[in-house]
Amino acid sequence: MTLGRMGLLAWNIARVTFNGNVSLPGFLEHLYKVIIRCLLPVMAVLLPFGMVMSLQGLDIFALYGTQRMLSSFVAAAIIRELSPVMACVLVAAQGGASIAAELGAMRIKEEIDATEVMAVDSVAHHVAPRFLALVVACPLLDMLGCVSGIAGGYLTAVLMNGEPSGTFVAEMWVMTTWYDLLATVLKSLVFGGIIGLVSSYLGYNARGGAAGVGRAVNDSVVYSVLAFITANYLLTSAIYGGIT
Amino acid sequence: MADFVRASWNRPPPTGQVMAEAYRIGVKSLPVLLIIAVFVGTNLSLQGYNAFKPLGGQYMVGLFVSMAGVREMAPVIAAAMIAAKAGTEMATQIAVMRIREQIDALEVMAVDPLWFLVTPRLLGIALVLPALTIISIFATLLSAYLVAVWQLGLNGAQFLSFAREGLAPMDLLYCVIKGLCFGIVIAVVGCFFGFKAGRGPEGVGRATNGAVVTMSVVVVFLNYFLSELFYG
Repeated sequence: MTLGRMGLLAWNIARVTFNGNVSLPGFLEHLYKVIIRCLLPVMAVLLPFGMVMSLQGLDIFALYGTQRMLSSFVAAAIIRELSPVMACVLVAAQGGASIAAELGAMRIKEEIDATEVMAVDSVAHHVAPRFLALVVACPLLDMLGCVSGIAGGYLTAVLMNGEPSGTFVAEMWVMTTWYDLLATVLKSLVFGGIIGLVSSYLGYNARGGAAGVGRAVNDSVVYSVLAFITANYLLTSAIYGGIT
Repeated sequence: MADFVRASWNRPPPTGQVMAEAYRIGVKSLPVLLIIAVFVGTNLSLQGYNAFKPLGGQYMVGLFVSMAGVREMAPVIAAAMIAAKAGTEMATQIAVMRIREQIDALEVMAVDPLWFLVTPRLLGIALVLPALTIISIFATLLSAYLVAVWQLGLNGAQFLSFAREGLAPMDLLYCVIKGLCFGIVIAVVGCFFGFKAGRGPEGVGRATNGAVVTMSVVVVFLNYFLSELFYG
């Protein structure tokens, strides 16, 4: 039943979007807010992840004396897997949770009912701009996450462990192709859709006072991360599993 | 923080409460954690296969999974999921108590709210998170093995021997220490955000939101420093 109602909400969002009922200024305002809120957390998480990858990668590659492969390995791991997943975990924790918190608080204070009474479509007015902003913000944040992760790898390898800087930069794109860049954008778009739908559904249907808002926020983080990690396995299999 | 250390130093913690929290955090978070750990393992296997395939070293997937999965991914992912599930729950509960003035009521009854609310949560999570880390390591390795053997058609025995090569008993100890540190961070951040929650439903929402973001960022940074300390 939950899935059905979630599908209904998705259908309603799609309907108002294609009818052009979503106001552009509202969408841009939410887009700006999501990006500003998530920018620092995403970069702050991907940077140490790149540093750790570099640290552990140096350990492995030093066994075979092939430290020059480090940068291509770090870039591939971050672009293919870590950046979409970790950036979207942070978007779920920050952007998705704040959607659930805002919509939940509106529901509890009966602002959504008030909107409906005034014959304004609450999905078009409150839900759709937030959902679309999150979906658009995810690929942008994912790309920034890639940059910050590779910068973290560079920091550890070159500045702290004295690998040659030219080799690091030159070898970076050996394993990564345009196909990987397309894949990372596609992945983060799908994850953004999942996060946006789960958190707007839970916020929109929150009940039970202030504790209910807290529960909606909590559940939105847990279920959206759960759903897109599952989707990630399927997407990775579909995108890369074919190359055998 | 200093207040809290002083508050729990002088009196023994409420044992029953600690156990109840440990049960709540540990057992209720286990299904979510297991699902996440399984999918992290499957993906590590797939990506390791793709990374080593061009070099003709696809049999090294086991080594890759055991090093990347056990040393870094499993502890961080376990901590991130516990932060998202149990940590935000702490923030929400304490924030709700704060806005319903139940914390003021505790103070009126001369019960120290830090001792009564924070100590059980902190000890409870410190008790279970190392164990959950070990469980998630096991789930990650198992699912990586299954994907490697069934989906990718690799030799199972070879996978296991390479996986064993990448691991030392000390790695498990390091993971337990990481889990312990992450647990303390999660409990302190969650309770801190709960205690200073603003008014009304938005206050609770914002406290929960801020708590989960701060926890994940602090955990990942701490992970880098611990890795540098252990392996650098």
